[in-house]
Amino acid sequence: MAGARILAVDDSPTILEMIKAILEAGGYEVITAVDGAEALETARAEKPDLILLDVMLPKLDGYRVCRLLKFDQNYKSIPIIMLTAKTEEQAMATGIRTGANQYLTKPVDPDTLLGAVAEELAKVQG
Amino acid sequence: MLNEHLAKDLSLEEFRRFRDLLHRHSGIYLEESKLDSLRISLVTRATRLGYTSLNDYYGALERDDHEFNELLNLVTINETSFFRFPQQFEALRERVLPEIMADKPASSRNLRIWSAGCSTGEEPYSVSMSLLDMGVEGLGWRPQVLGTDVSTKALAHAKAGVYGKRSMMNVPPDVVSRFYEATPSGAYRINDRVRSLVDFGYHNLIKEPYPLSLMGNWDVIFCRNVTIYFRLESTRRVVRNFFDSLNEGGYLFIGHSETLTSISEDFEAIDMGGVFLYRKPKSRRLFSFGAQAARPQTSPAPRPAPASTDPAERAAKRAARAAAAEARAAAAATPAPETPEDEGVGGMFEQARTRLKEGRPAEVIELVERILVEDPNNADAHLLSAYVHADSGEYDDALAACQRALAINPLLPAARYILGIIYQRQGDALRAVSEFKKTIYIDADFALAHLNLANIYKAQRKWAAAAKEYENALRAMYKSPNGAWMEFAGGFQADLLVKTCERSLIECRKAAEAG
Repeated sequence: MAGARILAVDDSPTILEMIKAILEAGGYEVITAVDGAEALETARAEKPDLILLDVMLPKLDGYRVCRLLKFDQNYKSIPIIMLTAKTEEQAMATGIRTGANQYLTKPVDPDTLLGAVAEELAKVQG
Repeated sequence: MLNEHLAKDLSLEEFRRFRDLLHRHSGIYLEESKLDSLRISLVTRATRLGYTSLNDYYGALERDDHEFNELLNLVTINETSFFRFPQQFEALRERVLPEIMADKPASSRNLRIWSAGCSTGEEPYSVSMSLLDMGVEGLGWRPQVLGTDVSTKALAHAKAGVYGKRSMMNVPPDVVSRFYEATPSGAYRINDRVRSLVDFGYHNLIKEPYPLSLMGNWDVIFCRNVTIYFRLESTRRVVRNFFDSLNEGGYLFIGHSETLTSISEDFEAIDMGGVFLYRKPKSRRLFSFGAQAARPQTSPAPRPAPASTDPAERAAKRAARAAAAEARAAAAATPAPETPEDEGVGGMFEQARTRLKEGRPAEVIELVERILVEDPNNADAHLLSAYVHADSGEYDDALAACQRALAINPLLPAARYILGIIYQRQGDALRAVSEFKKTIYIDADFALAHLNLANIYKAQRKWAAAAKEYENALRAMYKSPNGAWMEFAGGFQADLLVKTCERSLIECRKAAEAG
């Protein structure tokens, strides 16, 4: 699904730029948000094809953002990949509760990131 | 200055006279333990108006509605504060509202919460802050909070939105800085953002009928003193009105020390980590299918069978009964269509699936029989027949159909699953467990088999085994949200199944730790 639009959310501009660079190199269009509230507004306004969501965010943390999206008929089909610094099990458990489609542990390996994005987009396409 | 005649103790007889007057006109019933506080209110008002005896003041109350309201204002002054019993607000944010939002159709963006008996407004404002903290407006939800009370004085205070330190004891500093403004006198004023979600209005819970604006469409109702203020009969009526006013799946919050036992059997009691909440049942069906239409708007939930104490089992029974009622209603409401011309096995199968979705089991069976005349070894047709018979409670026919399907293809997970359901309904847990295990053996992602297995273990109080299967069910749902098992979820949405699993999982983990 080349050309898909991805919303990347992280409060660190350097990480955000890095993620943006990786995704754009993969042929995706990237929009960004720097906190949870902006993430929701952007998701609503732009209806991205996929969301990359950091856990630690100002205003609303990533888990809350994820849950709001996943508990909403209008947005729940948007795949969400959560980026977390936490250990695998914790993240997995929380991912299940919040309804995230996948989680990746930071720092993210570019190939892993692109692989996960492609996988989730392919699922949506059927 | 206090009049000497008035300062004397209130006799029990006098107390009862005033209490009955209050009760007759407002529905509010004061227990005898409130004798002293009523005496203070009476003396305060009588003195202000210059009466020299309580008897004279009683006469004034009977004549003068305005004075009656003044007294009521004093009597109903409630000790209240922001985020009173914080666990309830946590449950609202973390569990109740997400659940309600997930159930709303895509076109519906309203979230309506009614704080009934809101006194000076701390409760509706706390709800408003919770909604803002959740960020629901970011996705375009339109939250509305209504506070109502019988005390016009309390309502005026609520509308002003200015509070002293005592109301603020449960408010963390970061919440203060986000939602309040300091006044020059050292008080705290609710900021415009919080205020903008809240409306206030006068309403006496005991006066029926309720205005149309209050009847219907509430997602959550807070009424955290209802069983304390009113006598039993009044409480029952108030709670019944709440039930009628709530959306299906909507929640009633009552005080943390209150219970609806002996008041209402309409609600489902839900334990959310020690917080007991009451939910208006959803007409949902776990193992059935049928038309969504032709459902009465406010059908009371069937009462659980007294023999069963397991909530999962009760839910399944409720679901089964609701499904049966719906199927009957649908059959009565929609005229049977003309049977179309034969379009071959494939065409008939399509028709059968459509009839299935429309809740016309008899027509499904008829089509299945025609398919089997053409193609006696069609395992899917046998399976369909098994499903319809099982759902109609015709277990012998269903078992036979399953066996025929398995004779053709022994590796049909759905046939194993249906066998499991039949045995479960017949009370044969041992064989049910065996069939669900076989289902999983063939298809590890058959989430409903995990779920049913978990429910059986839970009923047997095998907490660890149950927890493990709930986890497996969750994993399967996330891995294969559109797996073969979804066909058997009877329109029950995957995200609701997920929540059901999560709730039970938490319950079982706790029980496992405790035991």
